[in-house]
Amino acid sequence: MRDIARNLALWAGLVTVLALALGHDKPLNVLGLFIVSGLAVGSLYALGGIGLVVLYRATGVLNLAAGAIGAVAVMVAWQLVQWGVVAPLAWALGLAFGPILATAYGRGIAPRMAWREPVVKAVASLGFAFVLLGLVSFLWSDDPRKFELPTDKAAVVILGLRVTVTRLLVVAAAILLVIGISAALDRTRVGLQMRALANNRRLSSLIGIPITRVETLAWALSGLLFGFTGLMFGDLVRLEPAVITFLVIPCVAAAIAGRLQSLPDVLMGGLAMGVIESLLTLSDTFKSVRPIAPFVIAALVLLLMSRGRRLTFAGED
Amino acid sequence: MQITRSGLVGLILAALAILVLPMLAGGQWLKIFTSTTAFALAAMGAGFMYARLGMVSLAQVGLMGIGGWVTLRLNHAFNLPFEANLLIGAAMTSVLGMILALPALRMRGLYLALITLMVAGGLEIIFTAYQFPNGGDGFWGVGTSFSATMRRPFLGQTDAGFLRYALVVALLGFLLIEGHRRSASGRAWALIRRSEAAALASGVNVTLYKTWAFGLSGLLAGLGGGVLAGSLGLLDASTFRASESVLLFALVVVGGARFWLGAVITAVLYRVAPGLLNNWGVDADLALVFFGAALLHAVITAPDGLAGQIFGLFSKEAAHDRA
Amino acid sequence: MKTTLLFAGSLMLSATTALAAPSCGANTGAAATGTPIKVGGIFGNAAPGDFSASTTAARAYFDCVNANGGIGGRPIEYLTENDQWNPELAAQAASKLLKDEKVVAIVGNGSFVEMAVNAPLYKEENVMAMASACAVSECFESSNIVSTNQGPLPSTVGAAQYMVEEQGAQNVSCIGLAIPNVGPWSCGAMEGYMAGKGLTGSSVLLNPASPDVNSALLESIASGADTILVNLPAGLAIAFLKAAEEQGLGDTYKWASSTPLYDRSVPEALGAYWDGKMFINAELTPWDKGGPDATNWLAVMDAYAPAEAARDTFSQSGYLSARFFTEAMLALDPAKLDDRAAVTDAIKAIKGATSDLLCGPYYVGEADRHMPNHAGTMVVVKGGGFETVRDCYEYDSPYFAPILEQEKALGLR
Repeated sequence: MRDIARNLALWAGLVTVLALALGHDKPLNVLGLFIVSGLAVGSLYALGGIGLVVLYRATGVLNLAAGAIGAVAVMVAWQLVQWGVVAPLAWALGLAFGPILATAYGRGIAPRMAWREPVVKAVASLGFAFVLLGLVSFLWSDDPRKFELPTDKAAVVILGLRVTVTRLLVVAAAILLVIGISAALDRTRVGLQMRALANNRRLSSLIGIPITRVETLAWALSGLLFGFTGLMFGDLVRLEPAVITFLVIPCVAAAIAGRLQSLPDVLMGGLAMGVIESLLTLSDTFKSVRPIAPFVIAALVLLLMSRGRRLTFAGED
Repeated sequence: MQITRSGLVGLILAALAILVLPMLAGGQWLKIFTSTTAFALAAMGAGFMYARLGMVSLAQVGLMGIGGWVTLRLNHAFNLPFEANLLIGAAMTSVLGMILALPALRMRGLYLALITLMVAGGLEIIFTAYQFPNGGDGFWGVGTSFSATMRRPFLGQTDAGFLRYALVVALLGFLLIEGHRRSASGRAWALIRRSEAAALASGVNVTLYKTWAFGLSGLLAGLGGGVLAGSLGLLDASTFRASESVLLFALVVVGGARFWLGAVITAVLYRVAPGLLNNWGVDADLALVFFGAALLHAVITAPDGLAGQIFGLFSKEAAHDRA
Repeated sequence: MKTTLLFAGSLMLSATTALAAPSCGANTGAAATGTPIKVGGIFGNAAPGDFSASTTAARAYFDCVNANGGIGGRPIEYLTENDQWNPELAAQAASKLLKDEKVVAIVGNGSFVEMAVNAPLYKEENVMAMASACAVSECFESSNIVSTNQGPLPSTVGAAQYMVEEQGAQNVSCIGLAIPNVGPWSCGAMEGYMAGKGLTGSSVLLNPASPDVNSALLESIASGADTILVNLPAGLAIAFLKAAEEQGLGDTYKWASSTPLYDRSVPEALGAYWDGKMFINAELTPWDKGGPDATNWLAVMDAYAPAEAARDTFSQSGYLSARFFTEAMLALDPAKLDDRAAVTDAIKAIKGATSDLLCGPYYVGEADRHMPNHAGTMVVVKGGGFETVRDCYEYDSPYFAPILEQEKALGLR
């Protein structure tokens, strides 16, 4: 808990310093607009990052196909709505593609490359992303589309910016998911098993943890998160499969902010990345390269993480 | 210096390629083979870092972009010959690679790969926003009219000549790595790969050799980028996306990072295979599906990559090389 | 669902026009049987977008020509290549067409990347590219490319001009892509137009990788504009307008867009909120305007293109490029049909060709820049479709000065 408070203070400090540096000559309400606007994008990064971290901790796979899985989910949901399926059912069916695809990969393909090192597992998942992206692009031509939720129509005004309920929903979902998943990892038996797997896979199997079951659960859960993130990307960013597929890279940046293990840090890091990206609009120099913010921040986090470390023997990392 | 049997085969094939390939290929295939050669250079860099040091760079295509950018920038700013532009571009990329190595001194495995991925992501954004110099004004050198001429090397004025030139550059790149592998650097790298503590204990300057490896890999990427710029006359940001860097590394694994043939296979998969599918009229989206599936299949079934499987057919030789 | 609806719509459209048989080339009704004349075309179709409508329409027209006497009895063999938005593939495609297949001309191109990559090669090979769907500056500022469509620059200036002259805009903010030869180029010319009128114009440039369009919207509002001119690819533009809808800005500002939003699926994707609020510039005349060429275009598409092929602006443009090319070839000495230099000269000699699909005359001429099409139509999103609010008008910006000079020299003005 103290760690969380300290990191929260660090992230908030970083955002404040940047906000002052970039917007000291702007009225406070303008700054507020950009901060509120950035929180929504930041929570999208965080959502994707949470799914990546949940899966990575339990299975050791960094799934670069997360974006593609989300793209499939939102395209299916959109298509079903077009076909006249009742909207909530359409969303649920689209969402279901998340766990189905993730579990299919996790059970069908990932075990066959279990002997590979983590990096190779990660880059191989790009192959799965290509398969999904290729199929989606083949099935749906590139017409302009829009994916809408009823929550888009309702809004509240925060700091002068109208914020739709969808955006609030994304922020709330990210926070609740972090709390819920953290609690589940702490309190439940499966959670304990997942933590054991994250710590040491070989020992976990020796003490009789049902690895396959726990891993399958992790794949399904992460798939559900990717599906949800995809739906939200489709609604809040844009409904273009290629764009959604490659948004996985800033989501990886958010996951790095949590050192691929701490969910609260993923959330805080993701939100900070979104806000900083939005604040960069105020700088004439950095305006056109705003989306670089998550990458720079993630690289700095990695550098800080490795401070004072020395590599000795090649381990499992 | 002793030449292994597989090395000999490689040299003979290289000589044949340099002599015959430019004569046989038509206009389209000259371009495809030149691109392939450029990416083979980059793949070599990523491959040797992975095979010799166990370090993964997911920014190799992004670094090619740096090499290409500098080469184009120099070409449009000064009246230097192509060789000078190419070498300065490669040297600058190499320096950037060495800077990248600083975090690598304390990182390994996935984390190291991820920091390079972040670099690749950042480069993609910068390339998109500023594009590549085409003879326009100012530092970024981007004009709206069509590109000014890219001067080519004296021996590579035609497309066929340029392919030959690129192949020679690639061969020199191979020899550069092979030379390193057999010298003190190779032994130092092997030791570092096993254990940095052991390397330190035996008096190896770990910092120097790791940085040098990154610099060498960057140099090759920079050469690749410069060759690509020379072939096309201009570059576009879409070539250097972060996902392309990840894909190139995935193909390095598929090709087989331990063998010289691996880099060739990587580049062939990366550029010739899509060219063939396109020629056969396979839908671009479905080609992506086949490509993704083949990538998964190869990662699953080929522990030493396709090159490993090919050399496995002549198993004694492969065992010798792997030692 | 939507595609079937569109399909049904185009069938209904064709039902009214099917009475007219397509008229192409020499219109003899006899199939051409001689040695084929090779003509190339490059389009982009891969994950981010599909520009193949132009080459599809050009192919339909050439098929129709071949069924109607061809060029002096010789059919046109139309070879198309997909650049998949990859600059290397674009260069390979051009090498294949020009060096291996030795085509005499390139017709109907539609791509984002191909023109920038291949412009120097076209010059070197002395071949003329009669493009149809261009989006980057190189396409309009090169000696050997001429495009039938307008591209983002004239379209943006035209939209701003309409907003100033008929909607009372004083301060226009242009939202473009932060890619030098696209956004800054076209939004910059719009700024030039506004400055020339003593009004204010500004640009907001968006990195295409950016997931967040809200900040660009806020930036544009902060500029103090009364009109927001969206100059983005359709997908991004729709995301941008959705953010504006969230903020309830539809009535606070005046809204305009360049051509990418003139697309059949746009009104549905935008939704009822934008009905009557969104003014869009159309580069060619609206699809349903009618006229001999408009009718013939649909007849050719119905008879020779796949039923599901798009019948949009790029399709019109591809049809027109193919038609103008065919006419130039029919007028050429039959002995010179395989001589690339002669064909290039014949294309460059095209002058004052007209069509009801275009607002102005089409010409090529010998010049280091080509932009024959710089007059268009304004439409507004209305009732799930589009309604014309200003018919054919010529754009006015300092950018067009050298082009107007050219037209004077050619005697078109």
